[in-house]
Amino acid sequence: MVRGTEKVREYLEEITEPIPSTILIIGRDLKIIYANPHYYSVAGKRAKDVIGKNIWNVLSASTIERMGLDRKIRDVIETGRPFEGGHAPGDRLGTFYFYKVRPIGDKHGDVSRAMILVEDVTELTNLEERLKESYGKLDAAYRELKDADKIKSDFISKASHGLRTPLTVISSYIELLEEKKIENLEKRKEITKILKVQTDHMIDLINDMLDVSRMESKKFEIERKKIDAKELVNDAAEKVKTLSDLKGHNISLEIPDDLPEVVGDRKRIEDVLTNLLTNAIRYTPERGKITISVIDENRHLHFTVTDNGIGIHRRERKKIFEKFYVGSSAKKEPGRMGLGLSIAKGIVEAHGGEIWVESRVGRGSKFHFTVPKE
Amino acid sequence: MKNILVVDDDEDVQKMFKDILETYGYKVVQAANGKEAVEKYIESKPDIVIMDILMPGVDGVKTTKKILRRDKNAKIIVVTAVGKVGLEKDCIKAGAKAFIMKPFKIDALLAAIQKVSGGA
Repeated sequence: MVRGTEKVREYLEEITEPIPSTILIIGRDLKIIYANPHYYSVAGKRAKDVIGKNIWNVLSASTIERMGLDRKIRDVIETGRPFEGGHAPGDRLGTFYFYKVRPIGDKHGDVSRAMILVEDVTELTNLEERLKESYGKLDAAYRELKDADKIKSDFISKASHGLRTPLTVISSYIELLEEKKIENLEKRKEITKILKVQTDHMIDLINDMLDVSRMESKKFEIERKKIDAKELVNDAAEKVKTLSDLKGHNISLEIPDDLPEVVGDRKRIEDVLTNLLTNAIRYTPERGKITISVIDENRHLHFTVTDNGIGIHRRERKKIFEKFYVGSSAKKEPGRMGLGLSIAKGIVEAHGGEIWVESRVGRGSKFHFTVPKE
Repeated sequence: MKNILVVDDDEDVQKMFKDILETYGYKVVQAANGKEAVEKYIESKPDIVIMDILMPGVDGVKTTKKILRRDKNAKIIVVTAVGKVGLEKDCIKAGAKAFIMKPFKIDALLAAIQKVSGGA
């Protein structure tokens, strides 16, 4: 005949058998009264090594310490209030456990035992970590997209503003010409000239915007051919001569005869030089002195454009290479989109070179850029 | 003949306004910035002002207010390339009588001039 308590135990085993968590019942003296089948299977222990033994002799000391089990068991038995749950890392690296300590009362309601429930939440924790990580990535991607979207809408708004002015001039004059309101031939010639200038201005703006957009989407491509730097500098100087003569500037070249060739995009590097020269001409009071020099340095050619113009304030020196940044002096001139130097920077960097400026307000500016020889 | 003060910092735009307006029988006075606009307004007492918004120094909204402070009956038409949301409201609040975006049809400009000068 099976005794009642034995029956209860069997019944309990049957219920707790499929539970994939460890259940231990522990007395006030910290001795283990019961352990469920799951515990024996994961701990690889037999009942005789567990039942009636102190937890310090059965569980690992580090586990007891990490969970503060001894203290919690005593607290729960003392107060009758459960410890509702905590997380702790397991003995094996990367494992995590969730545990609860609940009081067990006798038929009089006196608490002399506690039940510990330990659940392996390693997988769940890892999942949570991965989820957190994915969320972080998602959040970063979202922010990046939002930033890109803002840059894009800024770009569209600035671009449309930049194009509206030349378009206004062009469309109004076409309307006037169409309605034959302007009969005078000289006047018509004058208008045609304005139309040409404004159309060229629009073409330049559109090309600049296209360059910036390609640079941003990393689709900016350059040719790689051998370039005669001396010829390139001469061509750039020739290109800006009319503009320079208008202000009575003197442009001088300092180029050694035995300059080696560089590899790159001739038209693009000439664009950089022309841009720097145009700025030098624009921001130097009449009859200024502008010098272009090229030095052969070990791995690259070092180009400089020096002027004795108005100079650039310290706080603007970095910003002038940002797109759409229009410096305080440039603001005085209409139609500036603030793309020239950002494109120059993009071109130089696409060649593997660097661009920078030195300047003193009221004394002048010196723009440098390098182009690697190979 | 009506007198129109055109305030715009772009030389070609100035010239364009002059050519349009003179073609349609208006007399044109020009100013390249806000400060000059106020001076020219006092000096020539124009019937209508065509006002750009983005200019170096004092912008078009502030210039509109400055002119209206000197003459509360000033008839100012804002003509701008700035497509900023809420700008039209700001201009009207500042006292401008009409708001036109660049580029515009000449008819629209002439209609606005007619409207603000009271159909005369």
